[in-house]
Amino acid sequence: MSECEYIEPEVLEKMENIVVFMCNECGQGSANTAGVARMAYNPAIRIVRVQCTGQVGPIQIMDALDNGADAVACVGCCLGACHFFNGNILSMHRIKLMKKLFKELGYSDQFVNQYTSRAAEGETAVGDFEDIVERLATAIREEGTFKDGC
Amino acid sequence: MDVRIFQFNGCNKCFNETILLKGESKYNIEFIQDPQNWKEQKTDISIITGFLLSKNKETLNKIKANSERVIAYGNCATSGGIFALANQKGHDVSPLKNFIEDTININGCLGEIEELKFEIEDNELPKLQNLCIVCERRKTCDYLDELKRQIELEDNETCFNDLGYLCNGFVSKECKERCIDYNAPCRGCKPIIERSGIRMLGMFGTLMGNIEVATEHSEKGATDKLADEDDDITASLPDIVGNFFRFTLPTSGLPKGRIPSNGNLLEDVFTGRLIEELPLISGLLGGDHSISLTLKIIETYEEANNIKVSEKTKNYRNQLLKLENALQKAIQSKDPEQYKKITEEIRKIAGNMNLSNLSYGGFRSQIDENDDFEEYKAHPFEVIEGTYKNGSIEFTIDPIGIVKKIKIKEGYV
Ligand code: SF4
Ligand code: SF4
Ligand code: SF4
Repeated sequence: MSECEYIEPEVLEKMENIVVFMCNECGQGSANTAGVARMAYNPAIRIVRVQCTGQVGPIQIMDALDNGADAVACVGCCLGACHFFNGNILSMHRIKLMKKLFKELGYSDQFVNQYTSRAAEGETAVGDFEDIVERLATAIREEGTFKDGC
Repeated sequence: MDVRIFQFNGCNKCFNETILLKGESKYNIEFIQDPQNWKEQKTDISIITGFLLSKNKETLNKIKANSERVIAYGNCATSGGIFALANQKGHDVSPLKNFIEDTININGCLGEIEELKFEIEDNELPKLQNLCIVCERRKTCDYLDELKRQIELEDNETCFNDLGYLCNGFVSKECKERCIDYNAPCRGCKPIIERSGIRMLGMFGTLMGNIEVATEHSEKGATDKLADEDDDITASLPDIVGNFFRFTLPTSGLPKGRIPSNGNLLEDVFTGRLIEELPLISGLLGGDHSISLTLKIIETYEEANNIKVSEKTKNYRNQLLKLENALQKAIQSKDPEQYKKITEEIRKIAGNMNLSNLSYGGFRSQIDENDDFEEYKAHPFEVIEGTYKNGSIEFTIDPIGIVKKIKIKEGYV
């Protein structure tokens, strides 16, 4: 794991809910491993277990954002290792389109992201969480939270 | 039965379509073109057409207070419609239901007069199926290798989506205007489900399965993550807002756009759209000038880029312009027979009142079976960056064909 970037308390304060859809395989597996090793991560992270990130699309992402999420991310299996053939890649396609959609509307594309992790390595999940938080911090510094904009 | 029809802002095509109600003697109809100055009067049914802004709130409340029932007719009134694309740039085009409660909605751009009659009579609307069920094309839903932006007309059996053209039929109801019959994929004007745009986007993202999405190594997670850089996915869909949220931006659940406005609302609707989409947009929102506006856009681009047009094409286009003139007269005299006759003539050439059959270089589908279609068939054209000007219209497109600036002379819409 690399060093954490400094995030100002007033920015951190604004992150209340970060919804992370984690697949039941590597995603959730790595979070479990991190838990067993008692690795700490930002308390705003709210994990939602899904069978596969391929189940998550624009509707679920918008539902999360409309119901108070500050950011949404998916964590799936590593590329080529999806337990349902290509759910992680398909989800990336859709999240990429969501990112572009946000840009077209004049918003940061950092409110939605997608990651992968390895079940045996808790630090991959925790690293993903840190990256989510840092990216959200950049977006908040630049233009405030998603909620502010709506 | 007292029926009052109010035209608010923008396109008046739905308003004009209600002239057809005049053929029904049982209605006592009044057309109101400037609702702000309307003298309040009790009425059975009020019909709202055109798009709505917050400045119309007071008038709408007055209408509501005086009416037994209020019907929003056409997408402009039901969901913001095509004009609500301007909300991408911060405008506040809003559906009627944001202003008053208990509205009845007749979707469509153009709204369907038959459905309106059902509602006026308080009859239950016939249950409409999904457009794909009544479409002649067949879908496989195989992953796409690439998307296509300009229609090529060879295959008329395969679903547009499978061919790489974005067709919103998946999320639409069966309809009268049937763009799909004129080689124009469905624009999605009659959504069959809530938040149709978001759902279609998800569906289409999946369909794009074989198109490569960029990933990168994540320092923190020490695994791969989705990259932010532009890739084949983003390049394939240069205008997601315009393609998926064409009629439903205010009801889509998306936040209001923060792109700086370029000036007036109409120009903001067009800015950000794609060159191949322009005629389809002007055909929708141009009101009783939609034919001349659409042909102006098409011809401006054709002339500047030496896109050859056959005599036959010119001939059909001239017929359309004449029909537009005649239609304007019929509208002025509120003559339902004439209106019906002329719109039928227009439909014969332009496919429907959205002018789906019009395109650069010719027409998208055969008009008369005795014609040689090859003579006036539209063909793919090159996207050439530049500023195009022709009297009442001027627009600038970038190298991928996105409209950066547009000026449309007052009075067109
Ligand atoms: S833009 Fe479409 S929905 Fe709006 S008034 Fe014109 S035809 Fe009707
Ligand atoms: S998506 Fe379009 S082309 Fe395909 S079946 Fe449905 S209506 Fe027809
Ligand atoms: S085919 Fe055309 S008229 Fe029919 S629902 Fe689609 S966009 Fe609307």
